[in-house]
Amino acid sequence: MPPESSGAGRSIERASADRIYYTLAAVIGGTVGIYFLVVPVLDLNIAFHFYLMLWITMASAFNVAAGFSGYMPFGFVAFYGVGAFTTAILVKSLGFPVLLALPFSGVAGVILGLLFAPTLRLSGIYFAIVSLALAGICRLVISNMPDHITGGSFGLQLGSRAEPVHSFYVMMAVMLLALGTILWLSRSRLGKALRAVRDDAEAADMMGVNVTRVRLYGWLIAAFFPAVCGGVEAWYTNVVDTETAFNTLTTAKTVIYAVAGGLGTVTGPIVGSVVMVWLDELIWRQFPLLNLLILGVATVMLVLFLPRGIVGTILRRRPEWRRYIP
Amino acid sequence: MEILVLNGIVNGLIVGGIYALIGMSLTLLYGVLRIVNFAHGEFVIGGSFLAYALFSNLGLAPLFSLPVAALSFFAMGWGAYYLLLPRLQKSDDPEIMSFLMMYGVSIALAAVMLLIFEADSRSIDYSFTPISMKVGPIYVSTARIVAFGIVIVLAAALTWFLFRTLPGKALRATIMNPEAIKIVGVDVVKLSAFAFALASAIAGVTGVLVALVFPAFNPFSGAEYSIIGFIVVVLGGLGNPLGALLAGILYGLAEQLATVFLPQAMAPIVGFGILVAVILIRPTGLMGWRAQR
Amino acid sequence: MSAAIEVHGLRKRFGGLTALDGVELEAHPAEVLGIIGVNGAGKTTLMNCICGIYRADEGRVMIGGRDVTHRTPHEIAHHGVGRTFQIPRVFRKMSLIDNLLVPVLDRDEADPALIERAENTLEHMNLIELRHNFAEELSGGQQKLLEMARMLMPDPTVVMLDEPFAGVHPTLCKFMIERIEAMAAGGKTVLLISHDLTSIYRLSHRVAALNEGRVIAMGSVDEIRSNPAVVEAYLGN
Repeated sequence: MPPESSGAGRSIERASADRIYYTLAAVIGGTVGIYFLVVPVLDLNIAFHFYLMLWITMASAFNVAAGFSGYMPFGFVAFYGVGAFTTAILVKSLGFPVLLALPFSGVAGVILGLLFAPTLRLSGIYFAIVSLALAGICRLVISNMPDHITGGSFGLQLGSRAEPVHSFYVMMAVMLLALGTILWLSRSRLGKALRAVRDDAEAADMMGVNVTRVRLYGWLIAAFFPAVCGGVEAWYTNVVDTETAFNTLTTAKTVIYAVAGGLGTVTGPIVGSVVMVWLDELIWRQFPLLNLLILGVATVMLVLFLPRGIVGTILRRRPEWRRYIP
Repeated sequence: MEILVLNGIVNGLIVGGIYALIGMSLTLLYGVLRIVNFAHGEFVIGGSFLAYALFSNLGLAPLFSLPVAALSFFAMGWGAYYLLLPRLQKSDDPEIMSFLMMYGVSIALAAVMLLIFEADSRSIDYSFTPISMKVGPIYVSTARIVAFGIVIVLAAALTWFLFRTLPGKALRATIMNPEAIKIVGVDVVKLSAFAFALASAIAGVTGVLVALVFPAFNPFSGAEYSIIGFIVVVLGGLGNPLGALLAGILYGLAEQLATVFLPQAMAPIVGFGILVAVILIRPTGLMGWRAQR
Repeated sequence: MSAAIEVHGLRKRFGGLTALDGVELEAHPAEVLGIIGVNGAGKTTLMNCICGIYRADEGRVMIGGRDVTHRTPHEIAHHGVGRTFQIPRVFRKMSLIDNLLVPVLDRDEADPALIERAENTLEHMNLIELRHNFAEELSGGQQKLLEMARMLMPDPTVVMLDEPFAGVHPTLCKFMIERIEAMAAGGKTVLLISHDLTSIYRLSHRVAALNEGRVIAMGSVDEIRSNPAVVEAYLGN
């Protein structure tokens, strides 16, 4: 009798699959962690790596909405922008220390997520369009607030000393927290419930899944991290203005990096961000003028030729690896 | 105050006519192809830049740019269809992937216009004689009146085409039941290519009119027109051309009257607010019409 | 013995169309109740009302003596109601094991115990070899088996099967019939919906005939077979 077909054999096989999965997760997490840890020590390009971590975090959080829950929030930048302004206003107007202000950015993201929660009953294109419109509303509301709060069109100077290395390490902590959360989510019961709801919400409901609650939890996770990213970036650049904080290109890049890697896996958005940010950097240096054009063309090519992303395509070729790759 | 309101109504009708054209072409595209064209605003602004280029290089008056825009955008749309769409239909979720793809197209088109025309706002330095006309107690620029006339002719022609001609009826039938139309033996690919080309042509022509009606445009104004297009399309019911016509005019009126009563900066918020409210409360649009899926 | 499921005066309208017009039903533990009727008789609507996807306009649904009318679908599921669908609705991009775990996600049991049970259930349904595949990779018949396995995972008291044999290969059909018999033998109440009379007559202890949203006859297989109203509804006009 082959060991596969007995209960005991199956549980041994399961344990070894889990071991491979977690070993891979530890290796990837360790590599990423050590690599970024030594960037400032070895005096590598801090700006490049700061933004690489930012995009990994953004794309991973977007993945919770798009890959796990099946929503395409084309107004994802709303969370980022509101997070940036929360930190900036708290530091500038109320004199908060930055590290204390950052958690409030996350809270602001979650509150915004709660405000947007009624849109979760929409799906597909309706959700995408409404999300886009809500991001527009957020930008307009903030840019119409009194200048002494938001700094008006000149932007808001945080006024604290810029500390690139400190903000670099804080960004790293945020990224690791995000990756840890998503690694947990992908294996957790909440993650399974989210995927079931994504695939067929009505059926999941009849199978006993509290669809509204599950969707909300997933949505709030996806809202939290971009808001914190916005706060950290505000600290890093020391200035916030509505045009850059709510720039639709932020959403565009997040979506593109996440899709390039492949939605629905933990590694997808990491791989996508690393590849695309690196390509972006190469292109930017060579042809700064063509950057926008190439971003657009890359998006089209991606949709046409690699709609499942890098990791998604590999897993389609090798379905048996799904159990081992986080 | 009365003059202001009257002004708002007249300008609302004119601007609304433009919005209606944008909405009609966008909704046609969605209805037939299930594509939400994020790049529609860039198509429109592309038409504006075409008129600008023809006027500043060849001295061609904007009215003569209309047929040039129609033909070139029709051809461009036809080509773009065969280049982009067939592959897309094979994807897991064509509707949302098309949204993402057209997002890319919109970025690329804006970038191309930026490379050619740079970021400054442009306007066509052309004026009709007389510059403005008196309509009742208020003055309206001749360019706006001419543009409105063209809008009416185009909207009427499009409606006639959709309801009275065979290809137009086939398009409407596709919107209502894409499966059945295949069984009946209509060449869906050709029909879809035609729809894409037609919608592009209307967008291009609308762009020329935008150059006449609005004070200025730049490579990044496209996004605003896309959003307005979405609002109009959703208000009118996805895939409903007549709904879009009505919704466009209503939205133009609402926007122009909002600028009379509210601070300038609030107008776009009103637009976004209408969009969100309609989708959440009445996703079938004001006329309660929804394309079958 | 008290009824596992009772339906009283259930009414459901869609605009001008009355889909259910005062349905009365009850079924007992270990009983297979066949529900027959032509297309449009209201069979699937009845099922959707029982499991809470549709809100009944009037009437009550009781599960194990508890009123569950107007509860949400997931609450009704937790009261021990499971179902399958006419066209399988599996979670396409999840493994078979994960599909089975969905109905038991809020149980207190530990993960390994649940996974083990999922594997045993898949074995019971002949799907064990495919356990790591995505559900979308299964054939139509296998997806029907997967739905049954998923339905059985939380050990429901009432199960509703919507056209389980439609488009299924005869060999598989036989296997499914055995499994349905095992469900009833294990004490579950089975509501079996089909317009295919042969399998219904073979499996059911009692049969209810639905026509135009009403139960026009209820009784043993033999009684239903010879009931003139049923014959009329099937062959009439």
